[in-house]
Amino acid sequence: MLSILIWLPVLAGLAIACLPEAIMTPTRSRQVAMAIALVILGWTGYLLTQFDVQSAGLQFQESFDWIAPLGLSYRLGMDGLSLPLIAINSLLVYIALYCSDVNLIRPRLYYSLMMLLAAGVAGAFLAQNLLLFFLFYEVELIPLYLMIAIWGGSRRGYAATKFLIYTAISGALILAAFFGLALLSGSFSFDYEQLQNLELPMTTQLILLVTIVVGFGIKVPIVPLHTWLPDAHVQAPTPTSVLLAGVLLKLGTYGLLRFGLQLLPDAWRVIAPALAILAVVNVLYGSFVAIAQTDMKKMVAYSSVGHMGYVMLAAAAATPLSIAATIAQMISHGLISALLFLLVGVVYSKTGTRNVDVLQGLLNPERGLPLIGSLMIVSVMASAGIPGMIGFIAEFLVYRSSFPIFPVATLLCMLGTALTAVYFLNLINRSFFGRLPETFANLPAIYWKDRIPALIVVALVIAFGLQPGWIIRWSEPTSLALGTLGDRSTTTAFVEANPLTLPLSAPALVD
Amino acid sequence: MTTLTPSTPVPTALSAIAERLENGGALLPDSPENLVEVVGVLKSYAVVLDAYSINLNYIAEHQFLVLFPFFKYMNGDVTAGKLMRHWLHQRINYEFAEYCMKAMFWHGGGGLDAYLDTEEFRTRATAAIQAKLKGNLMMRGINQLFPQFLLEQIRQLSFYSGLGQFWRVMSDMFMVLSDRYDAGDITSIADVVDHIKQGLVDNAAMPITYAVTIEGDRYEIIPATAGLTFLMDTAVPYVEAVFLRSFPFFGTVSYNAQAQQIPPEQADFSYGVLFADPLPTGGAGIPPTLLMQDLTHYLPDYLRAVYAGGLRGNGDLRVKINQSFQKSMFCVTTSAILGLMPHPLTTSQPQEQQANREFIDSWLARLEPSALLRVQTPQS
Amino acid sequence: MTEFLVDSSWWVPVYGVLGAVVTLPWSTGLIRRAGSRPAAYLNIVMTVVALLHCVILWTDLWDLPALHVDIPWLKLFDLNLYFSIELSRVSLGAAVLITVLSLLAQFFALGYLEKDWALGRFYALMGFFEGAMTGIALSDSLFSSYALLEMLTLSTYLLVGFWYAQPLVVTAARDAFLTKRVGDLLMLMGVVALSAIAGTLDYAELTAWAETAELAPLTATLLGLALLAGPIGKCAQFPLNLWLDEAMEGPSPASILRNSVVVACGAYVLIRMQPILSLSPVVLTTLMVVGAITAIGASLVSIGQIDIKRALSHTTSAYLGLVFLAVGMQQDEVALMLLFAHALSKALLYMSVGSVTLTTSTQDLTEMGGLGSRMPATSLAFAIGSIAMVGMVPFGGFWAMQIWAERVTVGAPGLLLILLLVNGLTAFNLTRVFGLVFAGEPQAKTRRAPEAPWAICLPMVSLIVMCLLVPVMLLQWELLPSLASVRSPLSLAIIGSSVVGFGFGAFIYLNPAFEHPLGLGWKSMQDILAQDFRTDQLYRVTVVFAVRRGARLAAWFDRYVVDGMVNLIGVASIFGSESLKYTISGQSKHYLLTVVIGVILGIASLGWLF
Repeated sequence: MLSILIWLPVLAGLAIACLPEAIMTPTRSRQVAMAIALVILGWTGYLLTQFDVQSAGLQFQESFDWIAPLGLSYRLGMDGLSLPLIAINSLLVYIALYCSDVNLIRPRLYYSLMMLLAAGVAGAFLAQNLLLFFLFYEVELIPLYLMIAIWGGSRRGYAATKFLIYTAISGALILAAFFGLALLSGSFSFDYEQLQNLELPMTTQLILLVTIVVGFGIKVPIVPLHTWLPDAHVQAPTPTSVLLAGVLLKLGTYGLLRFGLQLLPDAWRVIAPALAILAVVNVLYGSFVAIAQTDMKKMVAYSSVGHMGYVMLAAAAATPLSIAATIAQMISHGLISALLFLLVGVVYSKTGTRNVDVLQGLLNPERGLPLIGSLMIVSVMASAGIPGMIGFIAEFLVYRSSFPIFPVATLLCMLGTALTAVYFLNLINRSFFGRLPETFANLPAIYWKDRIPALIVVALVIAFGLQPGWIIRWSEPTSLALGTLGDRSTTTAFVEANPLTLPLSAPALVD
Repeated sequence: MTTLTPSTPVPTALSAIAERLENGGALLPDSPENLVEVVGVLKSYAVVLDAYSINLNYIAEHQFLVLFPFFKYMNGDVTAGKLMRHWLHQRINYEFAEYCMKAMFWHGGGGLDAYLDTEEFRTRATAAIQAKLKGNLMMRGINQLFPQFLLEQIRQLSFYSGLGQFWRVMSDMFMVLSDRYDAGDITSIADVVDHIKQGLVDNAAMPITYAVTIEGDRYEIIPATAGLTFLMDTAVPYVEAVFLRSFPFFGTVSYNAQAQQIPPEQADFSYGVLFADPLPTGGAGIPPTLLMQDLTHYLPDYLRAVYAGGLRGNGDLRVKINQSFQKSMFCVTTSAILGLMPHPLTTSQPQEQQANREFIDSWLARLEPSALLRVQTPQS
Repeated sequence: MTEFLVDSSWWVPVYGVLGAVVTLPWSTGLIRRAGSRPAAYLNIVMTVVALLHCVILWTDLWDLPALHVDIPWLKLFDLNLYFSIELSRVSLGAAVLITVLSLLAQFFALGYLEKDWALGRFYALMGFFEGAMTGIALSDSLFSSYALLEMLTLSTYLLVGFWYAQPLVVTAARDAFLTKRVGDLLMLMGVVALSAIAGTLDYAELTAWAETAELAPLTATLLGLALLAGPIGKCAQFPLNLWLDEAMEGPSPASILRNSVVVACGAYVLIRMQPILSLSPVVLTTLMVVGAITAIGASLVSIGQIDIKRALSHTTSAYLGLVFLAVGMQQDEVALMLLFAHALSKALLYMSVGSVTLTTSTQDLTEMGGLGSRMPATSLAFAIGSIAMVGMVPFGGFWAMQIWAERVTVGAPGLLLILLLVNGLTAFNLTRVFGLVFAGEPQAKTRRAPEAPWAICLPMVSLIVMCLLVPVMLLQWELLPSLASVRSPLSLAIIGSSVVGFGFGAFIYLNPAFEHPLGLGWKSMQDILAQDFRTDQLYRVTVVFAVRRGARLAAWFDRYVVDGMVNLIGVASIFGSESLKYTISGQSKHYLLTVVIGVILGIASLGWLF
């Protein structure tokens, strides 16, 4: 069942790349890629109907040994943590294909890489063998690198290389940690199940965990390991940015939860306060830097850095509620940041610039981009956490669940919502309000195909904002299981029993 | 006709236009594209003005001091089907006619405005008020308490009527222009200007009057003896109020008194058609959008085809119409300038030429900040 | 029937939002051939439906104790979020008031914005606005109140930004949003903390919890102050008051609501939170100090304004300051009554002002005069709105102030002075505006001023009647004290202060022999009042400065330190100086790719050997 999500796109990618040009014309390669993406989306929908929401464990498991001496086995499984991420991947891949430029250069390579990317990400979310995960984690890197390097902006070479180096280091660290785990497990197995509940000395655990955190932290990204992200986003074409922000960053937080918290829960509790501080730094640093940006894409990229901080905060708190909040915030950020990149992409393709100092008056109903502007207002409001949209409830859950564990850090993170409003209102009021200047008086026409991807995502952002249960219900048992791991397995009980003993003072930051 | 004396200042864009005017040209350069746009848009405008004019006259005559004129835009023809279309907003935006009327009324100037402050007007209007309020005790009371209330309403109705009569003439004039164009009679911008100028001159002395019938009795508010005429008492104030001054748009100018964006003197207002910026048309707080919307319905096919060829097809129709409309209004302004010229353009007397030139220069100085220079070059 | 209406009471806020959704074909420009007036009519119909729903419920439930309807929204482990609804006399009365004023304001807009092609969008926003407000009126949980207050912030932003191409709107909309957001953010901190500490956000449960809660004083204070920040922003209280002044850039029909019921929504939530705020005396003191400063400061500032809308908007802040004082003295009923009286009269004043602006095309008081005899409805509206707002027998404002004086000043007689001062200054200011606008000789811009069209006059006259009927309503609801109390010293003091204010104003501004000064006395005083005591400077040197500097510093740090370091390391060691140049050749890309694949394969084969 799950293999289809991985191998169907791989096969399609191969077909697109290898079939002779006469059969696989550029148009057809696009059609094939989109058809496969649609099938994948449908298949994901089918899996949703088959998923048992009551169960915390892995479902639809597949397993066979692959290279036994290496400990590499082909094990796939899906739980409440991976399911929403798989769903968002399937959706965003389709949308990214939809909004890809019809006339881009080397279309066959592009569409096969897209397929490969979809497969790699799905594989990483589903892999239940550490080495298998690593393979997928690295596979996803290659198409992304090439997409930036070939179809990117003027400084694409620099950005792509930077991305490559960072992610290679990330991969190396993760691999080192995985080897460490496998070696210390005694059985030299990379199978996930066998690595759970290892009895390791705390120091060893901490060394492993810190390696994992730094490795995945590059991907999240955690400040100061983030500088590849703005460059990559600014240079990447719109569909790549959509996937990068919407799905690929989630690989980082997914990895933190899956291989950090779930494998080494005790150590996780020990470093959690540090993670919370890092989260605060992410939120405030990302927001402040975003305020100073004039390039819309950079602004959205730094906004991503800030918003991923919320994911980190809730992950650090690691209570059942906060794990649910982590997942909700991942979905929320995935949809909203994808939406923002989609819209910025339309603005860029029509006006030729993303500079908020240059753009003005784009809400003009006849000559501007009024509907795109309205959608932009909706999406920045979603990002700033206005109720009625998914950003609000996800952020509320993050704050509410993290507050009992890290009160001061939570309050500091909350400043981010006001700062988000500052930079995004800046974007809206400068670029979309005001008079349309003569320089932008002759923008090309805008068609429904430019608007539809954003409209779909906006609809989801609002629907989930009104009915957050629709996204949270999948993950409840998994959140409970993850949130009660380790020493403080009775966290919830503790919170309920002593609601008033929670310190509101500063020492709680490092408690 | 350029003077060759070296002392003349370097010819600016404005002096080039002045020379063109002296040579029988227009404020708008002559080009086939401009001609198509101007005539086409004026044809549609003729249809819209016809509706506006009929409605303004209807309101002035048949909605006289009606407190709740629910159906004032329906010209007395209230049927279920028409009402439905009215409520669905599938109708001419008569609000814009009232907007122009208000601009004329508020800015004043001309004989009509002056007449409304005379004792004669007061006497005549009061008689009509007395007749209208017969038996209406409440309104009589209000009239006692607020003596200027109904008088001011009648002053406004006089302007409804005045503008209605003015537009009647203009509508017919533009319609004939379009017919002549279709017949191949009009081949240049200069022809357009001539046609309009001739129309203005022919109707210059047409009397402007206003009377209402209350319970069978006829009350003359503006009698012919008041001596108000078409050109000087409606056309000239109209050009001043609508083409040049108008009102600041809510959508582009702040009314905040502390910000002082609006000039304290009405004479310094420059929000009229000739000064307008067509780009924001269609947006919030831009009243001319109403007119442009009305014009979209009656465009001749040849102009529709021109517009459809643009970057955005019909998506920015109203902006394009506004641009063409502005051009056509520069032609009308040219006709007005030529019609008001102190001496015939063909004069060979240097003194008269000088006086003409000064007259033209004073207009151009006024129009310099307008869209005049923009329409000199083709735009999209 | 009643049962059905109770069960469906959550529809009351939804009607407005539904109206907003219905306008989408017009506001998004899908319908281009016809105009957008149907969108306006549909919204008005939705408002009428909401009004009927509220009114029927109100009359049906009048004698019953408050009903609670819980609408579960999200249940997750120990977190239970409800959109609870309370159906009581007060909450339904508030909803009725909101829908009535919304209806009148929307009708008003039919005339005021008849020449605005974006009518559809305006009505969509009004529907949204109304939905959020009725939601707050009926909300029975702090969570939904908070969420709805945020929606109010959004719709204020969008309504102020309605004329998005107007230069001052661009900043005004942004400032309105950010100022309110500062308040919202602090309030959110309070809500999150409260939710974690008390374990519930339901008002009834919170009240019960507050009775027994034993919080550390510091915790209670911080919590209360955080919660207080929201209403301070919403009610335009010092120091978050300036947005209301700027928000006057928005269309007048929205200003009618903003100055009457929107600000009241903030105070309404404040009243609901009162039991929690009372946990800390410091919070109550802060509440009182903020209210007192705003009441007096804003009354003075309003006198310095030359813009007709702004001359009134500051009095809104001042009256809400009085409401704050009442809440601070835990007199919720008094606060509600003052809000009610203020809402009706202020809405009427704003209608009058809108009519004046539309007729004269100016908002500058110095350019006006002589409108009185030509605009009967407008001038009557202003006169009656003024009298109903200040303490003059027998109108609403008087009774609210009378009860305020009786109950709030118990134990704090000094507060009476504040009341009298605010009342006197307001009376003076309103007379000043009336004199400058309606009395005297017409000026150039008011020379031709016919009364506004019927769509504007009809709601105005309706509201005049309602303002006149307020005493009757209060009598019906048994809120009036005995008639004898009119002769009490307190009442006489209130009436006295009004008379002094009116008299002083009339002496200066209704006296043809007098050279009309614009405001109070001498120039520098006038300037400082006109500029709102330079409160914007306060923002500029604090929050704005901090954020701007922080952003610049962070961006610099990011670019030169973090990224600079990375590039340095990259250039120096890893790949040699060539590879990190801004452009690299296609060959080196392939080279890099080979390296990566090589690394993977190398590690894999290493694993094999193990």
